[in-house]
Amino acid sequence: MGRGQPPPYWVLFVGPYGLYLLVFLVLPFANVALLSVYLHSPTKIAIAEFTTANYSKLWELYYANLFFRTLRLSLAVTVVCVALGYPLAYLLARARPRSMTLGLFLLIMPLMVSTVIRVFGWVVILGNEGLVNQALRQLGAGDGVRLLHTEGAVIVGLAQQSMPFMVLPIMASIERISPSLEEAARNLGASWGQMFTRTILPLSMPGLLSGALLVFSVSMSAFVTPALMGGRRSRMVGQQIYEEVLSAYNWPGAASLTIVLALLMLGLVGLALWASRRRARLETAR
Amino acid sequence: MTGRSPRFLWPFAIAVYALLLAPLVVVAAVSFGSTATFDFPPKGLSLRWYQAFFASEMFVRSFRVSQGVGLLTALVATLVGSLSAIGLVRLRFRGRGAAETFFLSPLLVPHILLGAAVYLYLARLAWSTSSMTLLVGHIVIATPYAIRCVTAGLVGMDPRLEEAAMSLGASRLQAFFKVTLPLLRSSLVTAAVFSFIISFSDINLALFLAGANAPSLPVHIFSQIQFEADPSIAAASALQIVIVGGLILLAQRLFRLRLMV
Repeated sequence: MGRGQPPPYWVLFVGPYGLYLLVFLVLPFANVALLSVYLHSPTKIAIAEFTTANYSKLWELYYANLFFRTLRLSLAVTVVCVALGYPLAYLLARARPRSMTLGLFLLIMPLMVSTVIRVFGWVVILGNEGLVNQALRQLGAGDGVRLLHTEGAVIVGLAQQSMPFMVLPIMASIERISPSLEEAARNLGASWGQMFTRTILPLSMPGLLSGALLVFSVSMSAFVTPALMGGRRSRMVGQQIYEEVLSAYNWPGAASLTIVLALLMLGLVGLALWASRRRARLETAR
Repeated sequence: MTGRSPRFLWPFAIAVYALLLAPLVVVAAVSFGSTATFDFPPKGLSLRWYQAFFASEMFVRSFRVSQGVGLLTALVATLVGSLSAIGLVRLRFRGRGAAETFFLSPLLVPHILLGAAVYLYLARLAWSTSSMTLLVGHIVIATPYAIRCVTAGLVGMDPRLEEAAMSLGASRLQAFFKVTLPLLRSSLVTAAVFSFIISFSDINLALFLAGANAPSLPVHIFSQIQFEADPSIAAASALQIVIVGGLILLAQRLFRLRLMV
């Protein structure tokens, strides 16, 4: 400690959680990175010999399909969330404070209830003996339809879970747009549609983009929903990781999947940050 | 100002809320049914599935696990989170921005990956999983929420209040405990409430980190759905919905909810 310099009190404040994260976040992922280049052994789980086999394996058709399917389903969920979530975000952003409080409560409360409970609700609704099929039978629509254990069910379940992540960022960006801008456009003769496409939509793009990326990454790493609502042919990467860790004991294989998925997400977040900064710079330059 | 939003947007809003609330409403309704199948609307009301829930040793035990781990997570996360928030907001040091990013990074890591990573790490350290390891994991994911709550409280507070107390003769510690801390009370309660909810609802970490003999409530529900789905799952779920919903109502009165997502 030099003269006039205060003692580093900050260590006492930020030290505990910093150290905790080092031990229980950084080191675990470092361990995963190490495991991912170790040789898999059926008897000892992993042998400390370096190999790239765990990564080159991911080019095999099975894993390529797995990743492609996960990407495709996540994209579908994102599209559903944009289509349904954007109008709600607009309404909430322009609502009176009281309605907004209620709207936000109804939006966030379901998010805080455990995923597994929401999935259970869908099982009751969509199952073979579920509510939709009961209703169909009462209407005399025959044997009932297979709704659960399909890709459609997974998309519905994931859209339900990630909808708030889409609505909130869009809502925040629309709130920042002054309502007088809308009035000005309308007074100058623009229809509501013209006003929307020329002012609100472009100005809310950053919110839309970060919402879309959030929803996409939540869906990419889903496990419970595809495990309980999906079928054998709608497996996602999260399920593969879970099984390779806890039932197949192929830890190096699970490790390489974890690293690839984590890097993919990191790339997406980086992309989102880069896009929003670039946008901000463009706007200040104008 | 609602009047000015075009009417054709309303069906979308209704569709979203129907989608969001349908599973919760159905679960709650089914839990009061009197038959062993899921009927909606239920054929006759009864509390038999709540009786079944409380009579099932596994359900009660897993509920206790979730409750205990949740309370401890709330305690530790609020304490550690407040320390971190005070450090990040009030103190100047090199690398403060980096520290903030690092501290909030657990929010960006998918929980299923974190669960797997911590599980493999504990396996290497030869720790066996238990409620203790679940607590370790939940502290990682709950503390960033606590940091956000307390940071928001500190940023909204006038630092001159503390300075005034000090110029009137209070020591730094006295000023903190007599002025700052009481003003932070609602932020601290919110931090604790959210940390509890994060822990109480988590399944992705718990699937890996809860001990096989002591599953948390969501994990037990998960395995029950896979094996046999009887409406006592609905009773367990309805209990969770009521607890979480009540806590969020409490938090909403104290705090702006939208900071939490």
